[in-house]
Amino acid sequence: MKNSLLTIALLSGLSTATASTAIAEDLLIGGTLSLTGVQAPLDEPGFRGAQVAVKYLNDNGGLLGRQVVFSNIDGKSDPVTVGNAAVQLFDRGAELMVAPCDFDFGGPAGREAQSSGIVGISTCASDPLYSSWSLGDKQFTLSMWNTTMGATAAEYAYNEREWKTAYVVTDQFIAYTKSLSKYFVEHFDAIGGEILLEDTYTNGDNDFSAQISRLQALGQKPDVIFISSYGTDVGVIVRALREIGIDSPVIGGDAYDDPALHENLGETFGNDIYFVTHTWMGPEAGPEMPTFLQLYEEMYGVEPDTSFVATGWDTIMLMAKAVEIAGTTDGTAVAAALEENTFELLTGSLGYSDAASGHAPDKAAMLVELKGGQPVPLGWRLPANPPAP
Amino acid sequence: MTELIQFVIDVLALGGAYALMALGLVIVYGILKLVNFAYGELIMVAGYTLFLMDGTGLPWLVMAAVAVLMSIFFGVATDYVAFRPVRAKSVTAVLITSFAFSTILQNAALLFISPRARNIPLPDVFSTTVTIGGAVTPLRNLLTIAATIVMLTLFTWLMRRSILGIAMRAAATNFTMARMLGVPANLIISSAFAISGLLAGVVSLFWLGRIGSVVPGIGLEPLLVAFIATVIGGMRSVPGAVLGGFLLALIDTSLNHILPQDLLKFRDAFTFSFVILILLWKPDGLIKGPASGQRT
Repeated sequence: MKNSLLTIALLSGLSTATASTAIAEDLLIGGTLSLTGVQAPLDEPGFRGAQVAVKYLNDNGGLLGRQVVFSNIDGKSDPVTVGNAAVQLFDRGAELMVAPCDFDFGGPAGREAQSSGIVGISTCASDPLYSSWSLGDKQFTLSMWNTTMGATAAEYAYNEREWKTAYVVTDQFIAYTKSLSKYFVEHFDAIGGEILLEDTYTNGDNDFSAQISRLQALGQKPDVIFISSYGTDVGVIVRALREIGIDSPVIGGDAYDDPALHENLGETFGNDIYFVTHTWMGPEAGPEMPTFLQLYEEMYGVEPDTSFVATGWDTIMLMAKAVEIAGTTDGTAVAAALEENTFELLTGSLGYSDAASGHAPDKAAMLVELKGGQPVPLGWRLPANPPAP
Repeated sequence: MTELIQFVIDVLALGGAYALMALGLVIVYGILKLVNFAYGELIMVAGYTLFLMDGTGLPWLVMAAVAVLMSIFFGVATDYVAFRPVRAKSVTAVLITSFAFSTILQNAALLFISPRARNIPLPDVFSTTVTIGGAVTPLRNLLTIAATIVMLTLFTWLMRRSILGIAMRAAATNFTMARMLGVPANLIISSAFAISGLLAGVVSLFWLGRIGSVVPGIGLEPLLVAFIATVIGGMRSVPGAVLGGFLLALIDTSLNHILPQDLLKFRDAFTFSFVILILLWKPDGLIKGPASGQRT
């Protein structure tokens, strides 16, 4: 039995740096973050951040007097693989679960965690489907919901920049891309803006010509373009628009927080682009950030290049704080600790509503501008009255 | 009128890319009667070659040429690694080895480069626009059309006039007979893979030019497109593959234009319904290739 456990651990450990066989006294935190596939730009930085947090906890005496072991099995951006990986981790005695970003990929890990009676937290799932309503009373997401993300974009556009008319592109890829547009449109409309045109894009098409024809047929230049897409397709759409001279400002969500995208757009196309994300990797974000940046650099030798590294650190630290308050890793007790307290994190202050109201996160968003291909922080924003999920 | 010009350019540019993708797949299928599932990875290889050469200071055309050469090299490597050792033994084995080769290449990119998108150098000319009859279009689209014409002409000349082409056509029609008449089998097959790699390499420049970056899974979409286009056009017919490519682009672009927003999200369902209708009407594809013998 021990041998087979060891074999499983070794096999699955191929994809992780911190995997080890769980010894009884160690506290095993399971992770199913996707290190490959379309989710990798969001999950892989989170994985790195989580490792920094685990080292920090262990250097400071562990959690509840036990050493923390974080073992991640690559979810491969595939919901079925994520679910299977979660089951495997619970078999190995995982007491907490770090779920991947977004409902489509993180949901299976959340459901497995719920059925094992333990707390699962997604590093950056922002669709309101990632809630206690759909996953169960022990499941949380570290991210703000898309209600906040969409409303922040709408308020920045309409209130701060007085962009009155918007053109909205929705990638039909996953729940995240669809609901982000939905809440932007709802809120932009509610605060007085006008949506000129809503259009649809299919992820992977790499062809935006029909949409451009429709936009040009409007005969009116929108004040702002809201694009909710995913992966390299964000770059495809922005390029297609900019190439033919449509220079309206572009605004979007945390999928833009990817250095590869910024480099892709470069000095030529990477201008007048704004996005709502989790935090900023610099002292502007808050007092805790410099400490994290230092720890991160000690571990990896380079500065973090996206705020998604902070979501990994925050997820582990949030778990640690809640477990310390609860005094145990028991699911019910940790969930109660998460519901009843407010936590100060790198990604801002975070509190949850109770399970009956969905574990809605109460959280601010960071607004970033892309200038000449370089991101520049514009500061924290909290929309006054975000739409209901 | 402007809109029509725009539409025609869009369809021709997308269709040209699709046609070249399909042609690269059908050239191997025609001879071996086997689909090369590692075909999409040739586009990935060309993309990563461009990425790795970024910053070397070489002129873009040189980098592009090296990328195409790498694609040809890996095309031939597909033959040597995945096809040649098992092709005489079992179809199932070749299916699996070509999938395996595809997976190995993808995972090599994952492990040695990154699972995240990597940017590739693009010439400035790709992002300049031109105005034709009032329609503003990226020059890249016109270059794609031009490259398609050049490649198709070259390909037609090769297949009709050169000894290699005639031998390949003979092999595609009846491989055993061709061999008996002294056509060297291995050379013909390797040449087919090399041409397949050349087409993939050329199309990758324009396909990746739309995206600006390369990810390990980039080959899936071109493989799918090529496969569907060849099925529509006729699996054994070279003109069929080209026709299929343009037709698929026409269907996709038209649907993008005419479907109402509520239905646009189901566009792929409409596309495939069309494909099914075409196949019900012409089960062998639009253009029937040469009556061919058994798989060899």
